Amino acid sequence: MLNLQRWQTIAVIAFTAIAVLFALPNVLPAVVLDHLPGWYQQSRINLGLDLRGGAHFLLEADLRSVLNERLTNFGDSVRGELRKQQVAFKDITTEQGKAVVVVLRDESQRAKAIEAIRNVDPSLSVSGSGDTIRLAYSDQDLFRRKKEVIDQSIEILRRRVDETGTIEPTIVRQGDDRILLQVPGIKDTTDLKRKINQTAKLTFHLVNEDMAAAGPSAAVPPTTMMVPTREGMQELRRSNPKAWEEIQAANPRMSPEQICRRYQPQCLPVLKRVIVGGEDLDDAKSTFEQQQGGRPIISFTFNAAGGRAFCAATRANIGKRLAIQLDNEIISAPVVQSAICGGSGIITGTFTTQQTQEQALLLRSGALPATLTIIEERTVGADLGADAIHDGTVAALVGTALVILLMLIVYGPVFGGFASLAMMVNMLLVFAGMSVLGASLTLPGIAGLVLTVGMSVDSNVLIYERVREESANGRSPFSALATGYERALTAVIDSNLTALIAGVLLFGFGSGPIRGFATSLTLGLLTHLFTATIFTRMLLAFWVRWRRPTALPI
Amino acid sequence: MLWRPHHLIQARPNFDFLGKRKIAMVLSTVINVASLVGVFVFGLNFGIDFEGGIAIQVKAKQGNVQLEELRSTLGHLGVGEVSLQEFGDPSTALIRVQRQEGNNQCVANAERVMKKRAGDGWSVKPGPANTGDVEFTAPSSMDAVAWRDAVSRVGLTVQERQLPRGTVNTAKIDMTHEQRAEWCQQVAIKLVEDTIGSNYELRGTESVGPKIGEELMRNGILAVVATLAAIAIYVWFRFEWQFGVGALVALLHDVLCTVGLFVLLRLDFSLTALAALLTIAGYSINDTVVIFDRVRENMRRYKKMGLIELLNFSINETLARTLMTSGTVFVAVAALVLFGGPVLYSFSIAMLWGVIVGTYSSIWVASACLVYLNLRPEQLRMDAEKAEKAKA
Repeated sequence: MLNLQRWQTIAVIAFTAIAVLFALPNVLPAVVLDHLPGWYQQSRINLGLDLRGGAHFLLEADLRSVLNERLTNFGDSVRGELRKQQVAFKDITTEQGKAVVVVLRDESQRAKAIEAIRNVDPSLSVSGSGDTIRLAYSDQDLFRRKKEVIDQSIEILRRRVDETGTIEPTIVRQGDDRILLQVPGIKDTTDLKRKINQTAKLTFHLVNEDMAAAGPSAAVPPTTMMVPTREGMQELRRSNPKAWEEIQAANPRMSPEQICRRYQPQCLPVLKRVIVGGEDLDDAKSTFEQQQGGRPIISFTFNAAGGRAFCAATRANIGKRLAIQLDNEIISAPVVQSAICGGSGIITGTFTTQQTQEQALLLRSGALPATLTIIEERTVGADLGADAIHDGTVAALVGTALVILLMLIVYGPVFGGFASLAMMVNMLLVFAGMSVLGASLTLPGIAGLVLTVGMSVDSNVLIYERVREESANGRSPFSALATGYERALTAVIDSNLTALIAGVLLFGFGSGPIRGFATSLTLGLLTHLFTATIFTRMLLAFWVRWRRPTALPI
Repeated sequence: MLWRPHHLIQARPNFDFLGKRKIAMVLSTVINVASLVGVFVFGLNFGIDFEGGIAIQVKAKQGNVQLEELRSTLGHLGVGEVSLQEFGDPSTALIRVQRQEGNNQCVANAERVMKKRAGDGWSVKPGPANTGDVEFTAPSSMDAVAWRDAVSRVGLTVQERQLPRGTVNTAKIDMTHEQRAEWCQQVAIKLVEDTIGSNYELRGTESVGPKIGEELMRNGILAVVATLAAIAIYVWFRFEWQFGVGALVALLHDVLCTVGLFVLLRLDFSLTALAALLTIAGYSINDTVVIFDRVRENMRRYKKMGLIELLNFSINETLARTLMTSGTVFVAVAALVLFGGPVLYSFSIAMLWGVIVGTYSSIWVASACLVYLNLRPEQLRMDAEKAEKAKA
């Protein structure tokens, strides 16, 4: 049967209408969009960097060195712990990025030694026999640690690249040890590379408690400086956005003291002397207290040098506050409860888990955990992107016009027209699909669209040729159409599936702009199975009922 | 109705396609062998995607690009092989620089960039040969923050730990050889940027390090092999094994012919070229499947017909649609060739050629294969009858 059932017709029309709806935000003016719900506004095609202009970096993190370093530190801690427990050992060595090997003097102390090691870090797997103890990360642990390093690097990059929160970079993990960084709209990458390098400066200072007690009007002695607190700055941003913007835009950057003097946010007097710098901080993470109801706390670890300096400073200043300064803000000023020796400590307080996570992140954001090497760079200037858009659009329009012309000549205004209409609806579906998926349109993606234009009428060619054949065999118009559609279907599906296979594999193996090509081509081939078959069949069924032709104009 | 559809070819053509199969075989063999020889003798003109290296697009601020002048300046720059070509129009050029190795030449280049961008007092020296270390010496002592800014001028991204402690005037940045090789691409970009001067505007820069280049190459080859295999297996499942082999041979033929075109025209073989290759593989088989579909149908219908006659008959029956489906894609791709711009040029040309080759191979390669593979019609008919009975 050629005719679709009523529900089928309704379904086809509804489906097309929905597609129009989802493709619409691409062309609606901003004024109208602003009044529509957010999820709907987002149904738009993003332009790829090659069309929009911008920078694309693929960075590789040197995870090996990070793991090596961690293991070496761990080896140092083990050495100290074994000495403390009076376990004699011949040697402690680090196997490149894999394991720490402890060789004991006395085999009988093995159990004691393992227990001591467990105290330092219970997560490592223990192997070896006799006097040799091999400590290695389990695969799962290794994976987790690698992921941690990458996630941390991503957070730091985001903070560095997008200080002002306006440039919307895409920063995502790729594979095991890579980070993809895409920044739209920038042309000069020197500045971007400088920012990647830009360390947030993390320092620990003692609070000048005498002055803090004396109140804000007291004179600031030369050993002391006023530094705004993070809460103070956030409060300022809320209450006086203009001042905040001034601070952000100031060039050269304002010193913390200038900010305190000029805008008077909440500030703390801290001693200028730096107790420990962020470069000595190995790690900081949000955890929970072991006892007492498991309050969320922040735990941190210093390297050997940092640990010693921190130990001495905390021992001499119990009861005083220790300010942790990140760039120009004090992110936290906990009271020193006891001397913190042994290289690690905790910050307690009335924190929520979210707060401890944020604070830990801030503490870590001082230093990148791993060296990032640029292994791929692609920068496209905005005018180059504009040229590409222009070329792509012209090619697409001319291509579409030529295909329509060819179809009209060969199959006449009715059949050719319907096929062309279906092809245009197909384009609409592709746009809707890409909008819903939030896919990027790249220059190769435009090429994919042009190919889709050519390929999506192919299925109509197969069907129409079959109809011609059936018609030439003496069938009535109605019967020729019905049989044509029915019999051409296997060829239509078979011939398109192979192209689909290529598209899917291309998506799997390809990267960047090529994925854009694979996306638009695959999507186009999928949706055209609908437009070229059901949609044109519906149109022809209407037409046959309306005109009741005695012969098919094909 | 005034406007009648125009029949592209007569309704029932009767060409003896397979009678010419020997000529076609000779022709195809010659083209394929020539392509293979071309690949091995002249090699493909790999773009930076696969070979690694740098591509910089520049536009003259006034007038045309002085290709000769630029060529001679950049040729003696110490960044290895540099090639220049006009890109799109005479005011625009594409500068290609070969992949940089992490050798001492690169460190010397880094020094030149440093001197130019940060002052004459700078020097950059390689560290011990068994490491990739690089030693920077500044004219005056600097702290870590200043060091960080300084080394980023040569595109070096460092980790805090790599920077010196305290205020010093020499910093040894530790790197592996691999890391240095990757960084050297950045050095070359800076050097080229400094050299071409202010008469040119940079429109885009691409650099692919050695590691990514190798990976993309490996993935590319895998993608081609996987695609060809997947399509052949699909055809094999949908038809008989002979059809699968025929399709595979036709696919290999099309891919090789296209690769040959890249060798012949010295087209840039980049990621988009690979996309073209895979698309051709996926598309050229369309016609083949249409013909195979008809062959299978006719085998059931005309049980007495000989194989060659049957194939000829099927090809003739489907000729109109074969030409028409290729025709629509051909005109669309032709628009890409003419208007798609320089970036898509090699992709579009390859696609255009692929459409032609794909149509030819459907008729003379894939179908001819069925003859040489002794597709036994009797066997097929029995299979088909069995299948029909099972269905009933």
